[in-house]
Amino acid sequence: MTTKEEIIKKSPYKPKLVEVIDYHRETNDTFTIKLGWKLKHEPGQFVFCSLPGIGEAPISICSHSDNYVELNIREVGNMTRFLSKIKKGDKLLVRGPYGRAYPMDKFKSHNMIIIGGGSGVAPLKGSVEYISNNRGDFGEVSLFFGFRTPEDVLFRKRLDVWKDEFSMYINFDRVEGKTIYGGKQGFVTERVKEVVGDNKDAIVFICGPPIMIEKVAEILIDKGFDEKQIYISAERLMYCGIGKCGRCMIHGKYTCLDGAVFRYDELKDYKDD
Amino acid sequence: MVKGHIEMFKKSLLFQMIMVQFTIDKGDFEGFLRKVIEKYDLIGPVEGDKSKLRRKSLFRKIVSPDELFLEKKTYFPVKGYFFDPKETLFEFDGDKIIDPKIELKKKVFFGLRRCDLNGIMHQDMVFLDENEDPFYKARRDASFLIGLHCNEGDDYCFCNSVELKDFFDLMFYDKGKEYAVEVGTKKGEEFIKKFSGVFKKKDKIITEEDRKIRNKKKLDTLDIKDNYDDDSWKKGSDLCVGCGACTLLCPNCHCFTIEDEVNFDLKTGKRVRKPASCQLRHFTRVAGDHVFRNEKLARFKHRIYHQIQYFKDRHEEVFCTGCGRCIEGCPARIDWVKIINEMK
Repeated sequence: MTTKEEIIKKSPYKPKLVEVIDYHRETNDTFTIKLGWKLKHEPGQFVFCSLPGIGEAPISICSHSDNYVELNIREVGNMTRFLSKIKKGDKLLVRGPYGRAYPMDKFKSHNMIIIGGGSGVAPLKGSVEYISNNRGDFGEVSLFFGFRTPEDVLFRKRLDVWKDEFSMYINFDRVEGKTIYGGKQGFVTERVKEVVGDNKDAIVFICGPPIMIEKVAEILIDKGFDEKQIYISAERLMYCGIGKCGRCMIHGKYTCLDGAVFRYDELKDYKDD
Repeated sequence: MVKGHIEMFKKSLLFQMIMVQFTIDKGDFEGFLRKVIEKYDLIGPVEGDKSKLRRKSLFRKIVSPDELFLEKKTYFPVKGYFFDPKETLFEFDGDKIIDPKIELKKKVFFGLRRCDLNGIMHQDMVFLDENEDPFYKARRDASFLIGLHCNEGDDYCFCNSVELKDFFDLMFYDKGKEYAVEVGTKKGEEFIKKFSGVFKKKDKIITEEDRKIRNKKKLDTLDIKDNYDDDSWKKGSDLCVGCGACTLLCPNCHCFTIEDEVNFDLKTGKRVRKPASCQLRHFTRVAGDHVFRNEKLARFKHRIYHQIQYFKDRHEEVFCTGCGRCIEGCPARIDWVKIINEMK
């Protein structure tokens, strides 16, 4: 028999309080919070943040450290708009980590191509930090990031470091005035087509709007990449994070348990469901 | 990972079938139920009453054995007793989390049909996997399942088409003057011992003929993998009014929403879990008003594919229990079984 005490002790839905140790506005609609939460996690996983009375939202971890957790959030809905009002020193209710991470151990000594669009850069930041921390384990690393305009560039402090450490290609949808990081006007897809060779050994991470993922994957496959070399991210509305609520299902796959990171051959038809 | 957990699940107590058989005389049956009612909460099927608010048959607490309605399966499923339609996960006061008040009472269920029992088994597979849901587990632990075998299905059942499994603590088979009783679990064995006066041990009383269920309806194929783009799905989705009755009446459907209910002081409240229906548009609606399954067709196909294929891919069991409640309860009379049968 399960007792009431056991239910309360084992409840997977109960969040815990952690402190916000830093708050930083990235652009006019995104912000990054740093939580003093010693959480063991892997690149690609996510956590749930909750504001009692408002709701709960899954947010991907955009850092890789055992001492803290960074979350990059764009104000798009009710919950994220309320969350943007949080201040340094406040407490936040969280639970996690959830989701299948990038199997980084498998990619040792491979070349890495990391492609992100807009806020899709955030979940990739964790894996780039992982690569940066274990630089000797990986071959050549190329970063392809796309943003709307130079004002929308995220993680400038990191990009300043990465532009010397890795080959970095930045693209903007629109450039009015001066560009930064040598960014060109145009879509990421065009840059990928132009720069990436037929690299048989490279592992590709793609995260961004579904249309971008689709087009980039198409280009890479045309260049001779195998579907098993490509890892994509897919997200849906979710409530539980542990494969119970059924909301995040894409053709029978749970994005909370089987994703949010998928190998491209596992989830090719993710668009129409 | 998934395979391992199914094997573990099958090894668990719930699945150890102990094939001992007993009989109980129908003359003793009422007395037996009265004794059960004295000791536990007895939940059983009761008939719908057109003159009252409760118009359709459902499972309810039984006070007297003559309330029981045993002619056919109920209109409503039994799932609400385990997967509570309004579970409080916790209460809050600002940032402070307050533990929920949980009421647990031992319940004995009588009159569960094979479809109901398999529905419970499928929900067990979801809620009692490696990420166990303690709210569900507590309710399941406190329950004792007594089945009642159907010999004759109604106009909507097609359970012979979906390979139902044996899953019960006790199963009753109607044999005219008496009930033959099959013991499924250790829990069931212990239960019989408590009422040893009325149950008489009798080996091999249940024949193959007794185990048969006669269906009027049949689902021709469980393999719809290649039919995803078939135009015939439109026959169903065009009629669909998107009410979600099918998912409400399904003994398996377990999707839910987590919502915060705030009190008037805007500070205290509780976080509750409520059932959700994949047939409603907002099921996949995210911030920015993007809806992933915006078309009725996509939502309709999602339900059928989850029932027939997706669950099987993950858990090696067909999700659908063939009870036909979704067809019986559909206001637009959509018969998806017929749609699949007519496909090439």
